[in-house]
Amino acid sequence: MCDIFALSAGVNYTAQQYLPVFAEKGRRNMSGWGIGFFRDNQILIEKSSEKVYDGEHVHESFQRLARVVDSRIIVSHIRCPLSGGAHTADNHPFALSFLDHVWLFVHIGVVEGIENYQTTNEPKIDVDAYPARIFEYLRDRLVSSLRYASCESFGRSLVKSIRSLLADYPGRYAFFLANESVLFAFSNFRQLMLLREAESFGNSLVLTSIKEGLSDKEWTAIKPKKETLGKLLVVAGPDVLYLGDVAEGSLV
Amino acid sequence: MCDLFALSAATNYSAPKSLPLFAFRAGRNMDGWGIGFFRKNRAYVEKSAARAYFEGSFHDGFQRLARVISSRFIIAHVRLRTSGPVDECHAHPFVLHFKGQDWIFAHNGKAPAIESYRSKKVRLEDAVSDSARTFEYLLDGIAARYERNNDIPGLFTAVADTSRQLIEEYPGSYNYLLTNGWVLFAFSNHRQFLFLKGSEKLERGLLLTTVARGLSEENWTRIAKKEESLGFLTAIVGSDILLRADI
Repeated sequence: MCDIFALSAGVNYTAQQYLPVFAEKGRRNMSGWGIGFFRDNQILIEKSSEKVYDGEHVHESFQRLARVVDSRIIVSHIRCPLSGGAHTADNHPFALSFLDHVWLFVHIGVVEGIENYQTTNEPKIDVDAYPARIFEYLRDRLVSSLRYASCESFGRSLVKSIRSLLADYPGRYAFFLANESVLFAFSNFRQLMLLREAESFGNSLVLTSIKEGLSDKEWTAIKPKKETLGKLLVVAGPDVLYLGDVAEGSLV
Repeated sequence: MCDLFALSAATNYSAPKSLPLFAFRAGRNMDGWGIGFFRKNRAYVEKSAARAYFEGSFHDGFQRLARVISSRFIIAHVRLRTSGPVDECHAHPFVLHFKGQDWIFAHNGKAPAIESYRSKKVRLEDAVSDSARTFEYLLDGIAARYERNNDIPGLFTAVADTSRQLIEEYPGSYNYLLTNGWVLFAFSNHRQFLFLKGSEKLERGLLLTTVARGLSEENWTRIAKKEESLGFLTAIVGSDILLRADI
């Protein structure tokens, strides 16, 4: 199973403390890796089809990037062979521009049938991997909901989009969706681990699918409940704005 | 009644068009003005007990600041006194450093009941108005519900629950803007907010104000309390209304 990582902070922040540990703990995923981040509100993505961890060492470029990349939001993905082809382009994160933002997307899980989804919007992601179709599906629903209602709640529109996605394409989903200011995390099957660092450690928040977390500190487990459609987190800077079950008639 | 203004954007922005329009359209507020903003995550406020706009002229300082201030969040307030004296100290916005973050708060409304509130953790020295006590009450409530490394209800939920409790414990009319530099909360239980995103005539980003018809002849969206609710709360990040709830 692939693994995902996200860091959100109040100021540009480097994930050198966590990304190498993420690579080491996700070592069984040997089909590539990717790191996405923001600079001047534009997305930069570095990815590779090589193993993130090999011969007892974290991939050299991954390690260097972990030291150098600084951004208010950083997302990363290390990939198992289940989620598409073996080319570098097949690796996450994927990027799309819509609704006045550039968005990053990483996903883990198994979804059948969505590989045939045909987006109605441009641009398309020119990759033959079903997570790209999930991203396009969410984009299409969000654009349809918010294009002419710009003052509607984005969170509420995302919840509607997720409900629609789960109805049309049932499956196992855990994804991070981020623009330059906000990070959304959803899971309906994997536990996500969350750590909020105090001001002295950079006032940041870290999320990962690695089940034991990435340090000895007190990580909070976020588990989807069986009777719900999944768990949604909304993060801005180092703060969790919202954490709730998608099934509820919730605040969003 | 005082009036409120905010600009929220994904990058630092100035409001040289909309801030003077705000002062002009809220011209009946003659007891002071203030502009709050963030620089490198630190909050700053410039304020005055003078009129922001009077007989065809803008206050010189207000006009210059409108051109110069650049921030992802800009909060402005023009005051018509209902509580506390008329002086610079009682002009909004207020700033408090609390739990490792700077917070900016601006309010309009009337809530004499809360003037007796005394916080044990945070204090706006010298300010004796209902607005000052409301700010302290909100931070106390948020801290109690949103301590780090405990259960995580979410900051939005903490602000919503605190606002509900505020109205129940200290009935009054509240209309406030509250931000920690990463998210802006807008709450009202008695007035509407008008929102405009992607203005062609003013600044882009998200604009909001309490001024009745907005600040331009564009398609402003009105959000007001539903009859059956105690009020409404929105959370704004960048140029988006991210979360919205009826309390």
